Amino acid sequence: MTNASYPSPKEWDRLVRGKNVSRRSMLKGSAAAGAVVAGSSFLAACGSDDTEAGTEGGGSIEPGNASGALTIGSNLSDDTPKAALAAVVAAFPNSDVELSINTTDHNTFQENINTILQAGEDDVLTWFAGFRNKFFADQGLLGDISDVWSSISGLGEGFKAASTASDGKQYFVPAFYYTWAINNSKKLWSEKGYTEPKTWDELLGLADDMAAGGITPFAMANDGKWPQMGMFDILNMRTNGYDFHVDLMGGTESWTDDRVRQVFTNWEQLLPYSQEGGNGRTWQEAATDMENGTVGMYLLGTFAASNSDAMAEDMDFFNFPEIDSAIGSSALDAPIDGYQMVASPANAEAAKEFLLYISTAEAQDAYLGVDPSVVASNSGADTSVYNDLQRKSADLANAATGIAQFLDRDTIPDFASACGDVIAEFIEDPSKIDGLLADLDEKKTAIFADFGSS
Amino acid sequence: MLTTKRNQYLAQGFLLVFSLLWVFPIVGMVLSAFRPYAETSNNPRGFFSWPETITLDNFRNALEQGEMVQHWIVTFAVVIPAMTLTLFLSSMVAFSVSRYSWRFNIALLMLFTAGNLLPPQSIIQPLFQIYNRIPIPEIPFISESGQLRGSLIGLILIHVAFQSGFCTFVLSNYMKTLPKELNEAAMVDGAGVWRQYWQIVMPLTRPALAALATLEFAWIYNDYFWAVVLVQQGDDLPITSSLRNLSGEFFTDDNLIAAGSLIVVLPTVLIYLVLRRQFISGLAVGAQK
Repeated sequence: MTNASYPSPKEWDRLVRGKNVSRRSMLKGSAAAGAVVAGSSFLAACGSDDTEAGTEGGGSIEPGNASGALTIGSNLSDDTPKAALAAVVAAFPNSDVELSINTTDHNTFQENINTILQAGEDDVLTWFAGFRNKFFADQGLLGDISDVWSSISGLGEGFKAASTASDGKQYFVPAFYYTWAINNSKKLWSEKGYTEPKTWDELLGLADDMAAGGITPFAMANDGKWPQMGMFDILNMRTNGYDFHVDLMGGTESWTDDRVRQVFTNWEQLLPYSQEGGNGRTWQEAATDMENGTVGMYLLGTFAASNSDAMAEDMDFFNFPEIDSAIGSSALDAPIDGYQMVASPANAEAAKEFLLYISTAEAQDAYLGVDPSVVASNSGADTSVYNDLQRKSADLANAATGIAQFLDRDTIPDFASACGDVIAEFIEDPSKIDGLLADLDEKKTAIFADFGSS
Repeated sequence: MLTTKRNQYLAQGFLLVFSLLWVFPIVGMVLSAFRPYAETSNNPRGFFSWPETITLDNFRNALEQGEMVQHWIVTFAVVIPAMTLTLFLSSMVAFSVSRYSWRFNIALLMLFTAGNLLPPQSIIQPLFQIYNRIPIPEIPFISESGQLRGSLIGLILIHVAFQSGFCTFVLSNYMKTLPKELNEAAMVDGAGVWRQYWQIVMPLTRPALAALATLEFAWIYNDYFWAVVLVQQGDDLPITSSLRNLSGEFFTDDNLIAAGSLIVVLPTVLIYLVLRRQFISGLAVGAQK
């Protein structure tokens, strides 16, 4: 249970600087690219089967050599992402590789990832960065792709950290991400003359203004018990900082700590300004309320814009304001999606070549050309086609000193659902929080002990 | 006289209230299936508002987005053999335990009945591992993975295994009610065991078979659990997976799901309507002895 795989603030800082690394055309000469991160100690022992002779570290991938069939198991079952992946696959430059996509709806895929990995029918699978990837890598269900990483360029250290498991090897290639922030309606805000709050006091002041004007300040949806996890994440990162958040998720901090209690004390201040009965409201219902101008602010991922075309036009967002000036406001949730390889793929050579391709600006441009709701991970991707929301998301993530993946991706799945239960009960009745946190801390001990021994 | 009349009113009132309670959500679902998402989501009264637009778009989209035709083919390729095989095999067991007295009759029947009580979830992990280790020839569509796991054959087999317990139980109870003299007479006329089973007992068991066929069709058709664990190819999943396909990663159109559910439930309703008479007479199966 080390936190080695999380991008630390320093690493994200380097990610920002990674933007200066000039974009290389991955599909032509990769020997030079191989040297970019080859000096990293991560790559000392790689031991992959198709190590190329003559390259530093664990070897690199020489595109164009692979052939044969390759299956991509995909959870991109919604129409737009599905079409976007098809466009990526169609643009794969090596025509000797026969690519096929096996799409399973994302819920089924997620619930069955264990059997999917054990069956090993697909070579490459769509998945999530960070803990969720590490979890399976540590169980030996994923293939080491450190050699792919030695050929990757344009992905910062933060992305690399989010792709690294406990053994220091990489098991994931990030493709795109989206950000969580406070969304608002441009129309309503310009009508009422609201301005972006920069501090906690300004946020509460704005909420008072809204309440006085008959508008519910905060939308609250929690159907499925995940939307409010985002609120916990951001309040914890603002109150206690990114490092504490990562340690708390990693099981090394106590939930009965005063700092955790403070998060809920802060949250309690927001509850009177929030919509009531949040646990029964879907995020779409709350988004519709925002669209109709009955609520003023809505903390959610930028996917909120997908609620309707009108919403996509009218939506804007801003970073959650700072609570403690010593901590600032530069950490946020920005879940990264990407690809991983099964432990023993039928066609490892093609799988690695595809994974390398996925990391390139070319592949990501192809994806974003169809699905403009996310932001590319490669710094060389074409940002000129970004819409306002994408540009703002990219700026926010680039300026961030700490990026979390979202509560249900940052910790053991069982523990994440225990947290979800506590949050749901808290918003129902905040007075119960002390007992809830004590229980949660006991659960944490049990769940993390099981996890450590397995 | 007066009290019986009052009781009748009370009973009718009670039934009326409860049937309305039952019908209410179904009517709501049918109505919302015909309405565009924007209409119910933007209306402050939501699903309780009066419909303004009636459209078949949701049904069209559900068919398309859920790739329902493709998944229906898979479903029927599983349901029909599984149902036929289950009824065939369990009627044979039922025939032998009801017609012949054998030492292990009761034990065998208990074994089959006990199998019913076993929750399928409890054996899924070993079953998955076993399936993962049994190679079978690769046949397009039927078994593309080259293993029992991921093949339609594997899915059919597990349905047969799990459903035959209940069917054996019901069929043997039914066959016990048929007069033994029929078999004796047939035997005197020189009919062998097979002939007694196929030409004497089976035709008489038809009501029970029809009732079971309706139930089995619905159960196997509605299966999601086995399919999802044992099949890895998204295209090889049965129709129940289509409904999940209709909810987006973040965005879910409830009206679309309502329309999808109505489409998916259609075959079960049709089968019930076709076999309704047998189903009702079969309901009393094994009730009197």
